[in-house]
Amino acid sequence: MVGNKATATAVKLARVQVASAFPVTPQTTITEYLSDMVANGELDAEFVNVEGELSSHVVVQAASRVGARTFVCTSGPGQLYMHHPMHQTSDNRLPVVMATVHRGNKGMMPDHTDLMSQLWTGWMQFYVEHNQEALDTCLMSYKIAEDERVRLPIAFGYDGYVLSYTAEPVEIPDQKDVDDWLPPYKAMPSILPDEVLPENLGGRWDRSDPQKRWQEHHEAIVNAKDVIVEVNESYGKKFGRSYGNGLTEEYRTEGAEAVLVAMGSLTGTARAAIDRLRDDGLNVGLVKLRCFLPFPKEDFQEIGKKVGAIGMIDRNVCLGHGGAAYTQIRNAIYDLEERPSVLEFIAGMGGKEVRVDDIYKIGKKTLKAAKSGGVSTSTEWV
Amino acid sequence: MIGIRIHGRGGQGAVTASRLLADASFRDGKFSQAIPMYGTERRGAPLVAYVRIDDVRVRERELVHEPDVVIVLDPLLSKEQSVASGLKKGGLLILNSKLPPEKVEIAGDIKIATVDATKIALETLKRPITNTAILGAFSKSVGYPTMESIEKSIRKQFPGRVGEMNIAAIHRSYEEVTPVVQATHTEPVVEESDIAVGGYGVLKDVSSWRVFTPIIDLDKCTGCRSCWLFCPETAIQWKDDRPEIEYHKCKGCGICVEECPVKCIAFERVVV
Repeated sequence: MVGNKATATAVKLARVQVASAFPVTPQTTITEYLSDMVANGELDAEFVNVEGELSSHVVVQAASRVGARTFVCTSGPGQLYMHHPMHQTSDNRLPVVMATVHRGNKGMMPDHTDLMSQLWTGWMQFYVEHNQEALDTCLMSYKIAEDERVRLPIAFGYDGYVLSYTAEPVEIPDQKDVDDWLPPYKAMPSILPDEVLPENLGGRWDRSDPQKRWQEHHEAIVNAKDVIVEVNESYGKKFGRSYGNGLTEEYRTEGAEAVLVAMGSLTGTARAAIDRLRDDGLNVGLVKLRCFLPFPKEDFQEIGKKVGAIGMIDRNVCLGHGGAAYTQIRNAIYDLEERPSVLEFIAGMGGKEVRVDDIYKIGKKTLKAAKSGGVSTSTEWV
Repeated sequence: MIGIRIHGRGGQGAVTASRLLADASFRDGKFSQAIPMYGTERRGAPLVAYVRIDDVRVRERELVHEPDVVIVLDPLLSKEQSVASGLKKGGLLILNSKLPPEKVEIAGDIKIATVDATKIALETLKRPITNTAILGAFSKSVGYPTMESIEKSIRKQFPGRVGEMNIAAIHRSYEEVTPVVQATHTEPVVEESDIAVGGYGVLKDVSSWRVFTPIIDLDKCTGCRSCWLFCPETAIQWKDDRPEIEYHKCKGCGICVEECPVKCIAFERVVV
């Protein structure tokens, strides 16, 4: 099953009631699968055809506000076009779930800049490694987003082409089990229109302190970590699959002197590289950064205490600033008394192929930094 | 783990072939991964797809740079691309060709098997889509996936009559593929173009895309200009009130043949 089919299947299993999307490569086939499912009666939902991403987003925003479980998906430039209403969806605390099939902003091929460009919209963000994880993450996203302690929208991203069109085995959970684990969405009274919109669209907020809604929103995202961990655990119990602690996942980190950190589909290739490094007697482990927002700061502080160096492989770059995850990891470990080196590698931009060999070399470099100490501040473009 | 690279042209179903192979292998209890290479392809443009088959879950995402098996869906591709590039020593090349493997002009420490998949496809499917027609040959030469699993995968991909036609094609290719022999040609492969190249603008010459070639009978031609009007590649020039095909621009799409009101354009199979 290809990544887009895995996602569409998850949408069906979640019994989404309203979905809307505008086709954009490489997300297009999700819209086709969903349209088929609705047309042949497999999925009892409204699939709303629209003329662009701005509209598709407003459709799901409105539907979510009146109590429907909703799904929207996009890629690259479509994601950028959708930017504006994303702020309002999160501000209104609507549990919309979005799949972003990564496509870079400099061409058709994948990197994470499309979703990374939405960092400030107040959405939670997951980056998934393989097609099975796309399906599982989609289901988990509804559980997390709709939790009354969270009530925030979630976007999960997976690399276009690399996953969207690559076929691999995916286990599909039973509908009965999913229904059991993920009960129908019940809109909270406060997000029904009367409550949300008494004062001309901005109603329920205390206008004497305009900053308060920012603070509440920020704290809600940071506090969602507990729920993410909880949902990951309960998913594991129900379906037999979970992903680390839900935020990060460690791979062969026992006794590691250095670790690499990867996101999205690069993680799979990195696993193969780690196996090779370990075979050669090099103590390098891997951390998969699965949940980018809220950022699992505490996880990296724990890892930072154990290793001499961390090599972050970013498939994104905030131009003039650096890799987004690299910046966050450095920020997280700053509070430690003894800090490991953090190295920055940028790879796979514009869909550039990343080979096992490339990551093997990154591993060797990071291990060398762990042994020699010293902090490299220069970015390496792989 | 074995890695497979499939060479084809847009429309020949290389991507579908990769998925069917991965799907059938999974039915046989293996783990698999089918990677298509999408770009700006269109019908006729050379393209590649990759498959990995392993006993454990496939984790890496890089392309298959050193395949164990290469499948070539189009006989002409081996003339313009170094299809054996990167093929492991002792690796297998399965070629869609009329020629016996001994006569294939590809050198190296590799093994070759051939099957006339275009003929099989034309006779069973009535069109030159060779993706399924070569899978039977793969199963026979490599030893897996089993034909039962390939049949199941095909029935799932193409329900109904089309599926049965494709199943007939895999059985024919299973029977008709030549034995696997060591490559005998000694001249090294000439690298004529990159493996993953796509696009007419780059190639300038698309003659090799053709499975059929249009040939105009000027005695019957009435000079109505329908062919000139409909040709999507502007491959038909108008000279002395008569059409003239610039063959390097012609992909062999057959639109002119279809549009000609007096049916004076023949469409002949290119034989390699």
